[in-house]
Amino acid sequence: MLGGYISDLDKGDVFEPVEYELTPFMCTEYAHGVEESSELFHSDLNEIGRQARPPTMIHVDKMRILEKNCLKEQRIAGMKGPDARIHYEYHAKQHSPAYVGEKLIVTGHIVDKYVLRDRQYLWYFLEVQTADGRLVTTYNDRTLLRFKKVGEAR
Amino acid sequence: MRTRPEYKTGDILTGPIRGITIERIEWYDSAMLSAATNELRQVGSNIHTDPEYAKSQGLEQVNADGMIMANWCSEMMVHAFGVHYVARGELRTKFIRQVLLGTLLHVKGRIRSATPQENGNVTYVVDIWCEDQHGMKLTEGDASVEVAA
Repeated sequence: MLGGYISDLDKGDVFEPVEYELTPFMCTEYAHGVEESSELFHSDLNEIGRQARPPTMIHVDKMRILEKNCLKEQRIAGMKGPDARIHYEYHAKQHSPAYVGEKLIVTGHIVDKYVLRDRQYLWYFLEVQTADGRLVTTYNDRTLLRFKKVGEAR
Repeated sequence: MRTRPEYKTGDILTGPIRGITIERIEWYDSAMLSAATNELRQVGSNIHTDPEYAKSQGLEQVNADGMIMANWCSEMMVHAFGVHYVARGELRTKFIRQVLLGTLLHVKGRIRSATPQENGNVTYVVDIWCEDQHGMKLTEGDASVEVAA
């Protein structure tokens, strides 16, 4: 169910898309925060002559789309839900770079919600395209909805 | 000028060796928020930064966000394959154990295969993992990249 907590999301839920323009600050600040020194992400003074975003910034897109679709638990705004989640799997495929100045559109849905070894998981699929339709990234993400086991008291 | 990296099966890739500190955890979380909002942000309380909140969630102590390990693995791929990875790379990481403060994390990779394509490109598959200072694997995964001719 959209509009609630992240744990309210369910298999088949289709996110309302997010659109934004990629800025130099977004790329360099993210790269700086993870000590990524490649000039590809910090300026256009590199071998391709354009500033690109780190491929892992797809995870920021996940946070953006959750912010728009889970109004009771907007993590970017500092809100907390009943349980913190634990990231289990990151799986991103790059189809082309995303460059500073491009408008990006993030779409996605919930592939599955399942219990494995007494813990509940959410499986997200996201896709990022440029506004002119070039595919940038596809992403699968599996996250534990809570560290405590199913049935364990909060 | 674009360089064309070349590796053969079994070659070892070496990524960063870094200690997990509260500063690094906050750098990542704050950067993620800043990138999401396009303004400088500082992370607040969460299971990575707040020991009491982490305990309330069933954890023994704060842990590093899995995306720190994913990013450091990605960094190794960027430095090994450059723009080829940024344009046509794939990375999968599973966070199989918590990464706690005080861990000295070693990011490593090994070329699993190097397959020439008909168009002259070469597709590499890389086993990737992060281990602590005692050799215990904490994150595992793989990556692939098509290096253009």
